[in-house]
Amino acid sequence: MAIEQAPARGRDRVVDPPATGSSGSPERARVIIVSVATVLALVVAVIVGLVVGPTSIGTWRVVGALVAHLGLGHSTLSPLQSTIIWQLRAPRMVLGLLSGAMLAVAGATYQGVFRNPLADPYLLGVAAGAGLGATIAIVDVGGGLSTPSWTPALAFGGALVAVVVTWAIGGRGLRSNTSTLILSGVAVAALLTSTQTYLQQQSSANTVARVYIWLLGSLASASWSSVTLVLPYVVVCATICVLAGRALDVMSVGEDESRSLGLPVARVRLVVVAASSLGTAAVVSAVGLIGFVGIIVPHVVRLVVGTSYRKILPLSVGVGAAFLVFADTIARTIVAPSELPLGVVTAIVGAPVFVVILSLRRPVST
Amino acid sequence: MSAIEVENLVVRIGRATLLSDVNLYVEPGTWCTVIGPNGAGKTTLIETVAGLRTPTSGTVRMSGDVVSAMKESERAKRVALVPQHPVIPVGMSVKEYVALGRIAYHGPLRSPRPHDRDVVDDVLERLSLADFAYRDVATLSGGERQRAVLARALAQGTMVVVLDEPITGLDLRHQIATLELLQREVHECGLTVLATLHDLTLAGQFADRLVLLSRGELVLDGPSAEVVRSVELADAYEMDLRVVNVDGGDVVVPVRH
Repeated sequence: MAIEQAPARGRDRVVDPPATGSSGSPERARVIIVSVATVLALVVAVIVGLVVGPTSIGTWRVVGALVAHLGLGHSTLSPLQSTIIWQLRAPRMVLGLLSGAMLAVAGATYQGVFRNPLADPYLLGVAAGAGLGATIAIVDVGGGLSTPSWTPALAFGGALVAVVVTWAIGGRGLRSNTSTLILSGVAVAALLTSTQTYLQQQSSANTVARVYIWLLGSLASASWSSVTLVLPYVVVCATICVLAGRALDVMSVGEDESRSLGLPVARVRLVVVAASSLGTAAVVSAVGLIGFVGIIVPHVVRLVVGTSYRKILPLSVGVGAAFLVFADTIARTIVAPSELPLGVVTAIVGAPVFVVILSLRRPVST
Repeated sequence: MSAIEVENLVVRIGRATLLSDVNLYVEPGTWCTVIGPNGAGKTTLIETVAGLRTPTSGTVRMSGDVVSAMKESERAKRVALVPQHPVIPVGMSVKEYVALGRIAYHGPLRSPRPHDRDVVDDVLERLSLADFAYRDVATLSGGERQRAVLARALAQGTMVVVLDEPITGLDLRHQIATLELLQREVHECGLTVLATLHDLTLAGQFADRLVLLSRGELVLDGPSAEVVRSVELADAYEMDLRVVNVDGGDVVVPVRH
């Protein structure tokens, strides 16, 4: 291979763009197709989330009510049907959209900032902290039948405390690096999980069962108040994560090279880890620990559109949102009137989809 | 004013002293190569000049400004680094990879401006990479890949480039091609180069000046022809070295006993 001796040029001289044909077009076309498919999936997820349930309500009547809610036409739903749609199914569907979007984008962000394909939103102790917080709340009421109302608050507090402690141990804030952060996350999670296990071991079987159900995650207790609580966290935190796409693309060359290119790596890491953790903590406090979404959705998106986080992050928001609503629809209908734990469904549905996509395309790194 | 001024530089990690009272001045538009055996402190010096390490004491200045006091984005507009083992991302096109060199100009929240794209296109053409612009950078050969890394550094638009063993892993032809490419940037664009090289012959043939480091100390600093013939060089490597002149160029040959 010869290296041509190109004619002399000034350092910043402007030249005509190279004749590259349309090599970049297939990728752009794929991203457009995936984006359109994601929007369609979201629309279908919204309709499915509102239509499917034990009480049969026609699809077009629900769509009509949805459109009427936007100020166009009139709803033909009875008062009972209207209550079922707007007070039971709608908040559950919206909370599913918000939770799926946040968990997926947080997982993608963690995978980018830690350059680790196994990273998920629970990497820095969010799950263990939330689990301990919820366990304390549930154990505190002893043999009661229902989960206490302050469980989300304690779970949220536990998740945030866990991340803050992880960050403090993992290398004194801005001086930390990703390896020490991950290791301190492992240590903090181990400590909190063992504390939680001890509390459960000291409790009644009924309490242990309620803790276990909470840990598996569910949208069953969704309400507009829980949506209102989670919404601002998800909007702000997911937006920050999506905006970090270009910075995460730079960080794919490693921390030292990113710094030499002019990226304030420590600050970027602090901001995106804080946003991902805060958003995840808010979601977990409302719906419990839903596994698999944060790790599988970003990988599926990556396998389809490539490794750029500018594409992975926004698409993860849409795909994660739609995926969790579909998974919840299965969870609440397949063994009706009982419900399957949502985390079980996300794994059972997500794993085969992931394996199929993985076998169709070559694996790519983070 | 020197393009690079290293004054009384000391770098310690724990109780180990990696660099001890190093003084070095590199004039604008010249090429200075740092040589020395393994563990001499060459990479530490390059990383400190690039701002990736903070001096324990002493200073590194770029055209009079202290490097360790600069913000990352400011530093990236003054000095570009070609690391010894660059991380090559999978799934990124050559053009996107080279465009990473412009992040300090448009920032991580904004798209590259037209001028940034023009600079990237210009660098791709100068380094004969235009035909590979949309190839996955991870699929390039070793020589092409090294040109892409160099292109990324040149896209930073700095007047100083520091390189840590830029020809590691390349065959002889691509070693020469890479160094000639760099030399052209020095002669035609006034680039200032501080590099480390293990190959003493190529170090002597391509640099205006050689600096010999040994055990963290600067032992010798002078014209290439003098340094390659010095007793200090043989002492630093603990080897008998001979210099043979072939067609006007010095060839350094180790002598086995």
